[in-house]
Amino acid sequence: MEFTEGTFTIETLANALNLTRGSTINYISKLKKANLVMVSGGGRQKKIYKIRSLPFIKTNGFYDLVNKYSKIKLVPKFNHIVHGSYSIEKAIIDGLFIGDARTLEATSYLFKQVKNWPRLMNLAKKFHKSDEVRKLYEKARANFKCRKMPKRYLNKN
Amino acid sequence: MITVQDQEELFELISNYLEEDVECFALGGTAMMFYGYKITTKDIDLVFLTEKERIIFINAIEQLGYKQISAKGIYSEKTLLNQQRPLMFSRGDERFDLFLKNIFGFQIDENIIFDFFARHDFITKKELIVKVLNKEYIVLLKSVTNREKDFEDIQTIVKKDKHLDWDKIIDEAIRQKENNQWILLDLEEKMNELKKSIFLPSKLFKKLYEEQD
Repeated sequence: MEFTEGTFTIETLANALNLTRGSTINYISKLKKANLVMVSGGGRQKKIYKIRSLPFIKTNGFYDLVNKYSKIKLVPKFNHIVHGSYSIEKAIIDGLFIGDARTLEATSYLFKQVKNWPRLMNLAKKFHKSDEVRKLYEKARANFKCRKMPKRYLNKN
Repeated sequence: MITVQDQEELFELISNYLEEDVECFALGGTAMMFYGYKITTKDIDLVFLTEKERIIFINAIEQLGYKQISAKGIYSEKTLLNQQRPLMFSRGDERFDLFLKNIFGFQIDENIIFDFFARHDFITKKELIVKVLNKEYIVLLKSVTNREKDFEDIQTIVKKDKHLDWDKIIDEAIRQKENNQWILLDLEEKMNELKKSIFLPSKLFKKLYEEQD
């Protein structure tokens, strides 16, 4: 039996591998353990199996956070995996470092979620991004309703 | 041998001992494990952009009991003639090869810094950011380092990944030839070996030969 990459249902995979339905389910189960298959559907929908020769990488970083909170969705430029806790404030700084117009626009939506302003401004100071954070915040405030930055952090040179 | 889980736990542990945040790039077996090309490696290869970050990292691993060792016997004589050798640290079976901005003449410059595959943030007291180099650079670097099993690793990548961009590999080798005079020859040697098991279009070799002349 040869390893097959592609998108299948149980029936098409069984056909491609020349296996019975039961053996195909067992085969998929083995692939799942190796993280080589992604399943969508189920219940009333037919299950669709995406099979790849390399493991699917589960990300939980910048792009996941931005795509969760922003109206503007981004296609990840890289896989971002965080081991530990990743905050909204750190994501804003990362967005500034990535720096292209669409990323900045999407990042600005994160200001709606900022709770810890001192953390944001300390990070901004550490990475020399204070002015850019303020600029992005002002842009966000002009475009949509979002949380207010404490006065002590505004207009500092 | 270091498994994927060992590697991630080790990075997390190291981040606890860092005095400041550190950013580095993973290459070789380490990068291959992050990709999913293989499940174990003998050594952890990292490249740092500044000496300060490498020193902070070394201080952390020394606190964990890693001792510096010689590169002789691990890298070939020809490879060691290059000035840009790694600092190597080991503890039991585990070994770190720590490069600074340059891997035997292969320069980690802006082109490569902004073109990476994945970023792993290990956040504890301090932050250890490990960026994983793109697969094309991994193959090219494996051709340069010439260690035992490096060719096997290239074969593994080629076998598992059908979307390898050979033009990108050759273009990068050409770009780097000023820094490493052997890079084109090393790559050609590996490609000739690979040709026995996979199809590589002759235009790729033509491009290489034109640059060698």
